[in-house]
Amino acid sequence: MGDNKSESGLLVYIIPFLAVVPFLYAMGWESHDASILIVAVPFMTFPVILIVGQVYNGEEFWKSKMKEGGILALGALGASLSAALWLVYDYVDSLPNFDEQQSVTQWLEWVSFDLLQSDYTLTSGSKILGMGVWIDSITLMILFVATFLCFLICWFSLGYMNTDPINEDRNHRFYGEFVLFALGMFGMVLADNFLWLFIFWEVMGLCSYLLIGFYYWKDSAAYASKKAFLTTRVGDVFLMIGLFILYDIYGSLEFSVIFHDPSLNGSVNSDKLFWALLMMFIGAVGKSAQFPLHVWLPDAMEGPTPVSALIHAATMVNAGLYLVARMVPFVDVGHHGVAGLEDLGLIVAYVGGITAFMAAAIAFVQNDIKKVLAYSTMSQLAYIFTGLGSALWFYNNDEHHAAAVVFGSSMFHLFNHAMAKGMLFMASGSVIHEVHHAHDHLHHGHGDGHGHDFDPQDMRNMGGLASKMPVTATAMMFGSMSIIGIPLIGGFWSKEGIIAETWLAALEHEPLMYGPAILVLLTAGMTGFYMSRMWFMTFAGVPKSEVVEHVHEETPWIKMPLVVLTVITAFGGFAFALLGATDYLSSAYDYSGHLKLHKSTLLDSILYKLEYAFLPEKINLRIVGWVTIFLSFIVGPILAARIHGGKLSDGESSTPFVSWLVSTSSKFGKQDVSSLSESELSVALQNRLYFDDLYEGVLARTVIPFSQFTAWFDRNVIDGLVKQIERRSVSGSVQVRRLTTGSARDYILMATVGMLSIIALLWGMNT
Amino acid sequence: MINDPLTVITLIPILVSLALLILPKLSPSAEGLARASRAISMGVSLGMLAITTMIFFGEIGNVDWSNYNSGYYLTNDSIALIPSIGVHWKVGADALSFPMIWLTTLLIPISMLVEWDAKKGHLFHPLILMMEGALIGVFVSLDMFVFYAFWELTLVPMFFLIMIWGGEDRKYASMKFFIYTFTASVIMLIGILVMYLYTPDVASSGSVTGHSFDMSVMISSTEFIPSEGLRHLVWLLLLIGFATKMPSVPVHTWLPDAHVQAPTAGSMLLAGVMLKMGAYGFLRIAVAAFPESTVVFIPLLIFLGMASLFYGAWVCMGQTNLKRMVAYSSVSHMGLIFLGIATMQPLGIAGALFMMFAHGIISPLLFAVAGAFKHHYHTLEIGSMRGIAHHSPWLSAHMMLGWMASLGLPLLAGFVAEVTILIAFWMSFGWLVLLPTLTLIITAVYYLTSMQKTIFESNDPHHGILPDTLHGEEPRDITWHENAGMIILGALTILFGILPFIFWDMMSEWSSGFLLETLVQAMQSEGVKP
Repeated sequence: MGDNKSESGLLVYIIPFLAVVPFLYAMGWESHDASILIVAVPFMTFPVILIVGQVYNGEEFWKSKMKEGGILALGALGASLSAALWLVYDYVDSLPNFDEQQSVTQWLEWVSFDLLQSDYTLTSGSKILGMGVWIDSITLMILFVATFLCFLICWFSLGYMNTDPINEDRNHRFYGEFVLFALGMFGMVLADNFLWLFIFWEVMGLCSYLLIGFYYWKDSAAYASKKAFLTTRVGDVFLMIGLFILYDIYGSLEFSVIFHDPSLNGSVNSDKLFWALLMMFIGAVGKSAQFPLHVWLPDAMEGPTPVSALIHAATMVNAGLYLVARMVPFVDVGHHGVAGLEDLGLIVAYVGGITAFMAAAIAFVQNDIKKVLAYSTMSQLAYIFTGLGSALWFYNNDEHHAAAVVFGSSMFHLFNHAMAKGMLFMASGSVIHEVHHAHDHLHHGHGDGHGHDFDPQDMRNMGGLASKMPVTATAMMFGSMSIIGIPLIGGFWSKEGIIAETWLAALEHEPLMYGPAILVLLTAGMTGFYMSRMWFMTFAGVPKSEVVEHVHEETPWIKMPLVVLTVITAFGGFAFALLGATDYLSSAYDYSGHLKLHKSTLLDSILYKLEYAFLPEKINLRIVGWVTIFLSFIVGPILAARIHGGKLSDGESSTPFVSWLVSTSSKFGKQDVSSLSESELSVALQNRLYFDDLYEGVLARTVIPFSQFTAWFDRNVIDGLVKQIERRSVSGSVQVRRLTTGSARDYILMATVGMLSIIALLWGMNT
Repeated sequence: MINDPLTVITLIPILVSLALLILPKLSPSAEGLARASRAISMGVSLGMLAITTMIFFGEIGNVDWSNYNSGYYLTNDSIALIPSIGVHWKVGADALSFPMIWLTTLLIPISMLVEWDAKKGHLFHPLILMMEGALIGVFVSLDMFVFYAFWELTLVPMFFLIMIWGGEDRKYASMKFFIYTFTASVIMLIGILVMYLYTPDVASSGSVTGHSFDMSVMISSTEFIPSEGLRHLVWLLLLIGFATKMPSVPVHTWLPDAHVQAPTAGSMLLAGVMLKMGAYGFLRIAVAAFPESTVVFIPLLIFLGMASLFYGAWVCMGQTNLKRMVAYSSVSHMGLIFLGIATMQPLGIAGALFMMFAHGIISPLLFAVAGAFKHHYHTLEIGSMRGIAHHSPWLSAHMMLGWMASLGLPLLAGFVAEVTILIAFWMSFGWLVLLPTLTLIITAVYYLTSMQKTIFESNDPHHGILPDTLHGEEPRDITWHENAGMIILGALTILFGILPFIFWDMMSEWSSGFLLETLVQAMQSEGVKP
């Protein structure tokens, strides 16, 4: 483990990568031409890392200078980031008008073909399934989030992965797959049609599988990776069916063709379209780990922590949200949408509400720091689904203003959540890494038996880390505040919008919306509890094991990404919200520009946003808003503080804000909940409400016996029949041999019979 | 004849292999030939690959593949072989056969490379070379008699490959392979002979029987078979022959036995090219000659396709032998070809053609991996070892890529075929698509489980759990030549997954032309709506 200074010198190797985009700019390229680099550079880099890493495994230069491929990965992601930033810079203020929008650039004509029409002629001009680039405000936002986080988390990995001896000589696999994943995410966001969206979607699924199984020798990791792949595969298969139906309806899967007039002049059968969208939504449910396909995400935490941060919190799991966001034009009756699809919005909102509540409840009792964050991810994604469900419902009922607000809020929540959760996972990784390191250090020389019963991820072994890891504690505090929705910080700006508009739908339009509305409101308070609980258990109070005493924040590469993301989480949400992020994000589907959400001056915009956040015009929304704030800001955190809060050991201190929070946490009294934690409900929650057991039990009792039966059937019945014929024909040939009597008369008889039958056959054919 | 490349690539491999097999026996002075036969075989096969690749780059742009009737790439007039019964040497290639020809010339050197160190190499490699000639002969001949001769000739080298280099149960497997497929071929031959008897009178060309085996004559003359019932009967006879070769449920059980016992190179060629002969012949002869019967029997095609796909996948999941599982997965994937043809859409038929090609590069990779397990760990039992990724990282990487390609992961070749066939299938049959699509989940289950139980989970980062069959030997990774072969196949899988249009465009054009000129009329008369 070298010191930080000499290692940062390695950054010189990424300069050639970073020089690509400026060079192309100087050559006179346009940003949309260079957009192919966002995918192409990672595509060319990942095989290099994997193959060179395998061939030169363990060589000095590869190990210490290339960080086993980490530097190459960082360079490739840097090149993608710079190309993406160029694209964002070019288009952020001059988005193409929705109705005129075509694919900005075409990369690839994949397959072209004709179709036979119902009048038995071929279509004129070949249909093409190809790959192009589609740009609107959602694309730009997610592209920025993905490239930025990929770069930062790769940076973080240089410290996290390369200093852990268990990863030695294996890291090239990590970086190669990491870069392949990045390729998939970037491609999915840029794709201008549903087929290529799906293709890159699956590439991400593959990488998720490979990276969860990074520690391939662990039973739990091998099992978890398989579970993740198969669970999402179930969703993906339905998504494929959805695409088939869509293709059948529109004869194309390109956004520019479909979105131009999704109702095809009112001729589209809304039932058929409903099924298409529902099937696609099942795919989204699988990818974004929503009820009932949520079981894979907590297990996915078997992967290395940077993977959890990137794939299973910040980027890949957003793919499902992105897909649902792309469904808006189908239902937007204000703009050629198809009426009668409210049910879709309701289904999406209900799936979101149920998942949000369930995941938050399970997060109450988790003691593994990464599991808490995993359930929190599920819960927050579910918020966004609820918001998108309400948005779909509003769009389908031509409530354009409310729809735009909740859609923009949902997309903005995606941004806030990605930034905060990416950082939270990295911070948790930092905690785990240092605790693990301290534990190894402490027990060094105790022989081989050390470390098997110590879990560095268990929060019951932590406590009091605020003074040992001030940077991490601060980062995690802001991240948690953003997730909880503490006023003025990050997620507050987006979560309020989702909850308020869902309530609006319930109060003024559709009583069925009360379900998700109540669930997300309760979840807001629960989020306040479990996130605070996690923070207090980890950082507040006195150390709960001696290991904590030896923890130091010293690993290189880890702090920079944490600091950058802390700043973005703490101030970015605020700044972007006031600059009108929600309006900007909803402008993707603001075709006519009649919303006038953009205020004339910056100051107007800021005042409007502040007023809207705290004092919306409608009185019931105002009540909902304040109840949300009360639950998430007051009730949840104080309950958590009463159970897990507490002062640090004497003489320990941290950054000012953290110190204040820790000392405050000790002022609400102390509550003992050990009896509660043994209640049936708590046990059920600890067992994840038995969903995993249920699925496994059913599958083990049906699939495996049935497959064994078919294998038996094939061997003994179908092949058995063949063997019967074989045996019969052997004994039959013995009979035949008896026919060779040697008597000429017999032969003549046989010849005659044979001849007659041939003649009969030919005669029969001719008539 | 020498300036006709298709004739050259058909006959040269056979002649060279015969020379290599026979000359050393005849004269002791030719023993040097035996020692060099491995290198000579490889050199010849690489030369064939160069020729087909050059044909591809030289001619492909100039041909209108959608013109089904004259889309053949022909360089000479036919040469009479047995004029008395109307047999000619007539060769040609179109978009249906050309990818298969190229695939054959590609797989031959790769399978030689993978088994570069085979025992009795002076026989092994020439036999594979003979295989090349026979396979190419099947794909290029436009004379039914010659077609059938090559069709049966492919059995001979494969029979010996299994018989001599096979596993413990090789005698049974080779006999079963030979008799089973030979029986099916004879049934097919009956169909061919009936077609022959109904060809128009061409006595003027010197045929004593007055009939001709010229494929274009036979196919275009099917209206000479007057009775519809007889046409259906002939179609069914042909189907039995071709479906057995593909193989389709329920005539598939020769395949797992043959595969499990066959040497790696044999399995690769068997799965890569020989199975495609069934689909090729079905399209080239049965569908082309009897479009009406094809349209009438669409439900049968769907049933066979679904049964192979769905049932095959379930059987796969119940297997404990790695190679058996991979063999059944071929059955499962071949089912998609029937489904693609049944759609009666250019998209579906082109998808079926692409499936033939894609499966032709993916399944050899699978068998190469399975063979490497047998070679280095002496067992194919799933679950007898764990954590092999530690000892054999290259093997594990190839396994991962091959398995993923076979379960239809996007950006790999198999996905292109799957998604196009299924889109077309939905357009023709609607919700019936649920069954093939849900099968994709089952496919994923058995592939992932087999990986989990071999390369994953040893619970020790520094050691895998080794099979007993290794008897304490130090586990190794694959050899350089195995690795090279697998890398080429893997790279092609990725290449054709991302840039499928290299072959797709010609396949798509051919499918449109084929459909318009043969099937559309039958669909109209049978009242089948597209």
